[in-house]
Amino acid sequence: MSYHYNEGFETDDDEYHHLDTLEIDRSRPSQKFSVLSENPYGSDENYSNVRQRRMDYPEVISMASVQPASARIQHAPEHTALYREPYNGGFSNLGFENENERDFVDKPSFISHSQDRYSDSFSAGGDGNSKGSIRSLSQKQMYHSTLPFNLISTEHDIVMERVNKEEKYALIKKLTAMSNRERNKAIKKLPLVLREKQEIRNTVQLMVKKESKTWATQTGCCADCLKNTTVSFRRFKETLSEIKQALQLWQKTLKVIGGKFGTSILSYFIFLRWLLAFNIFSFIINFSFITIPQFVDLRPNNLSFTGLELLTGSGYFQETVLYYGFYTNSTIRKDDNFAPYNMQLAYIFIIGLYLVICFLILLYSIAKSFRDNFINPVMYSGSATKLLCSWDFNITHEKAVKLAQQHMSTHIKEDLSEKQEKLVLTSCQQTVHFLIHLTVWIVTTGMAVGCCAAVYYLSESRKELLVNATSDIESQRESLLQPAVISLINLIMPFVFSLFELIEKFNSPKHQIYTIIFRNVILKLSIIGVLCQYWFQTIASGTKCWESFIGQDIYRLVVFDFIFCLLGSFVGEFLRRIIGTRCCKTLGKPEFDIARNVLDLIYAQTLAWIGIYFSPLLPLIQIIKLFILFYVKKESLRMNCLPPRKAWRASQMTTVFIFLLFFPSFIGVLVVIGVTVWRRTPSEECGPFQGLNVPFDAISNWIATITGEANLSWVVWIYDNLIKSELFFFLLTLLALIITYLYWQIIQGRKIMIKLLQEQIVNGGKDKMFLLQKLRKLQEMDGFNMSHSSVKQYKASDKMQENAQYSRDTDHHQGAQSGALALAMQARQQASAEEHEQHLEMNSHSALALALKARHQAEVELDDY
Amino acid sequence: MGNKQTIFTDEQLDAYQDCTFFTRKEILRLHSRYYELAPNLVPMDYTADPDVKLPIQLIINMPELMENPFKERIVETFSEDGEGNLSFNDFVDMFSVLSEMAPRELKAIYAFKIYDFNTDNFICKSDLEKTLNKVTREELTEEEVTLVCEKVIEEADMDGDGKLAFADFENMISKAPDFLSTFHIRI
Repeated sequence: MSYHYNEGFETDDDEYHHLDTLEIDRSRPSQKFSVLSENPYGSDENYSNVRQRRMDYPEVISMASVQPASARIQHAPEHTALYREPYNGGFSNLGFENENERDFVDKPSFISHSQDRYSDSFSAGGDGNSKGSIRSLSQKQMYHSTLPFNLISTEHDIVMERVNKEEKYALIKKLTAMSNRERNKAIKKLPLVLREKQEIRNTVQLMVKKESKTWATQTGCCADCLKNTTVSFRRFKETLSEIKQALQLWQKTLKVIGGKFGTSILSYFIFLRWLLAFNIFSFIINFSFITIPQFVDLRPNNLSFTGLELLTGSGYFQETVLYYGFYTNSTIRKDDNFAPYNMQLAYIFIIGLYLVICFLILLYSIAKSFRDNFINPVMYSGSATKLLCSWDFNITHEKAVKLAQQHMSTHIKEDLSEKQEKLVLTSCQQTVHFLIHLTVWIVTTGMAVGCCAAVYYLSESRKELLVNATSDIESQRESLLQPAVISLINLIMPFVFSLFELIEKFNSPKHQIYTIIFRNVILKLSIIGVLCQYWFQTIASGTKCWESFIGQDIYRLVVFDFIFCLLGSFVGEFLRRIIGTRCCKTLGKPEFDIARNVLDLIYAQTLAWIGIYFSPLLPLIQIIKLFILFYVKKESLRMNCLPPRKAWRASQMTTVFIFLLFFPSFIGVLVVIGVTVWRRTPSEECGPFQGLNVPFDAISNWIATITGEANLSWVVWIYDNLIKSELFFFLLTLLALIITYLYWQIIQGRKIMIKLLQEQIVNGGKDKMFLLQKLRKLQEMDGFNMSHSSVKQYKASDKMQENAQYSRDTDHHQGAQSGALALAMQARQQASAEEHEQHLEMNSHSALALALKARHQAEVELDDY
Repeated sequence: MGNKQTIFTDEQLDAYQDCTFFTRKEILRLHSRYYELAPNLVPMDYTADPDVKLPIQLIINMPELMENPFKERIVETFSEDGEGNLSFNDFVDMFSVLSEMAPRELKAIYAFKIYDFNTDNFICKSDLEKTLNKVTREELTEEEVTLVCEKVIEEADMDGDGKLAFADFENMISKAPDFLSTFHIRI
């Protein structure tokens, strides 16, 4: 009967793709080989039609699906007997009838089968490592869920059930052997229904308990104690993670933003929140370990507060805990009951600790983000990923969905038209392009250099002004000029740079965005570099209490950057929207420029980090700033902006931004603070380090005082052998380099292997197609010879064959006829041919599996790296 | 706090915690969301594991899913009976897979199921066409649709059988870094 053909074809297909299903299918060898021989469907097209149609007639199914599996199977012959009538009548439209009939029989079976499909999926747990087994398990589950069902599969089911039980047992055993944490992870990852997962979990836990009980009887109450500790530790961790979640700021707001504008813009706000967390942490430790002790030893502040100080940071603030100069160098001792508090050490240790923690967090974030987003060196930029992987499930706003759909369709249209008229540039055009790029690069670099020079001369001349200034207020006003100019440069130059886009026509948007980011980073960081040079050269050598002076400078820069940021979003977004929607309608609403905004954040954070040494409470200013900025940007976004039209590789760009925050920014900050601590003489009249040659001497002196004490000898040892010795750092660097090189080599090797395996897969696929075609040809010939050419006969023998199969499995022997037997024989022959193919197929599959494994390995490697 | 005890037992919450990517609080919040969908159907007391299922129509009207072009497929994929009725377990399962914490492999498996409209374990041309129509609001001409689908298959099909098997899909996903953040529904 024709559904056998369908079924066979389907089995066949499943097998081609999934190694895992092979064994299952082998366990019912007699059923499927009848199949290909008379397959009426030559192409996959028909096959999918069958499926589609099946989807379209759900009402046909519902009735049959009510019956439990076992009952249905027993009644199967009657079922088919019933439906055979219209079937036989439908000679004229053979294929079509077949499909309908198949709808009837197959769908209910699918549903009844689905009850045990999950148990089937345990089968792969027996061997391999845990990840592999779970992976294959998931595949098996997927494929088994729709494995073709036979009316005759009672026996098969029983066998399967037994096999499954064994395999399930194996999986549970494996899970039991794992450590607690790993087991939890593995269970969470199982692609099963929750109920099944819970069952597995319970069984595993019971097993574990049993095991530990036997163990406990041997070891006694100690184990009990240990167990209790682990349980309470786990509870503690849970509460901790809950608290962490509760502390996550703006959870709801972020959800709304994500819903309205998509993941790309969301990434900006998440970045902002992340920076905020950095600053809050730094504020908390600075405030509690540096500022609060200082409050005990407060000096009176005689300066008056006028209000301008909020902008300039000088005047009244000079004599507050805001700046380095206010902190004392003495040991604070409130009365004899309290232990003395050494301010020098506290200051240097807290700042050092904060920087080390920042370093580790940044390193960790880069590694994590890199692992998640840059696993594969080869990225698809094609339509496959665009279609299947780029839909943003985050967006929940009606308008946003419409917009996203519009963008998608324009993108696809653009893509198609591009493909059709892809121009090959002549060498002349290429030269022109190259020259344009070169000129733009020269111009932009020149502009950046010009800006730096301007900043430098402005600062130099300001010093003279400061000397000449008659009153305090006047000097304060003059001090505002420099930060204003710098912020103005930072505001305007990115716009100018983005104008060059119009001249340079980049082939790929990726290229374009990286170029713009690179130019902006060069500009911003070289300005900071020039400022640092100015501070160290001019200010540090000739100013009274120079650290506080630098602190004030940085304070002003931070405040002005904030003001200009607000101004930027007013001009660049609000006014631009007014112009775009009222005056010049072709412009429309502006797009939210993620790159520019994120770079602004990075710049501000760099300043805040540098300032932490000179002005320990600067993080507070930064917190306020980021907090307000969040709301301003949110409102501006809601009112003025559209999400970016171009596909924005949000996660990749996040990685790039974190990296930028780490490499030029944070490393630069480390250098600046390092120079201050090791090379610059602190000012003599103020600050915790007055009177020392360099601030680091505070630590050397402390070590010298504790050298004799026995209980602190380990500190001295660490200082002498690790911190002070070059050899240690040399060895450390060497080790790091060696490990890096090793991993790099391994990755290179893996890449080559992946490439080879991929080629192998492609070849395997080709072989498969070739053999399949050949097989079909042979079948057609064979089928023609064997069956007696007339359609009637063909149908009749068909039916008989089916009967024969029923009889084998349901004990309803219907009396086989010789024609059926002949066909059955032929099917047997086919079997061997198919078996051969399966082997081939297995090759391609094992190749695929290997490739996947290798890729996975590479991921892990990269991660470690 | 007393409220907490009546909905789930401690063991139940532990079990949920071990099997999903949610904390206790989130499980309770999910329950309240589930409860809100049909206050007269869903009991407040889940300690006895009541067999309650909500039909697809109720689920897809959640604000998180309402505008999603794949909402029916998502719900169908996670429903244990395959027809879109979600028990609370299925409901939790759905948001667990779609949560931030779920690993790429797990997300890939379910994304594949979602895009596999006709549940034949392959993403074939008809599936792609449906996907395309959903993400573009059927603005493309038929010709363009066929072209795009052909291109997709050509790009992603490794073994040359004219449709995407799970391995092909997974391979593709591994090269699409944004997938992890976009296949994600905040609840």
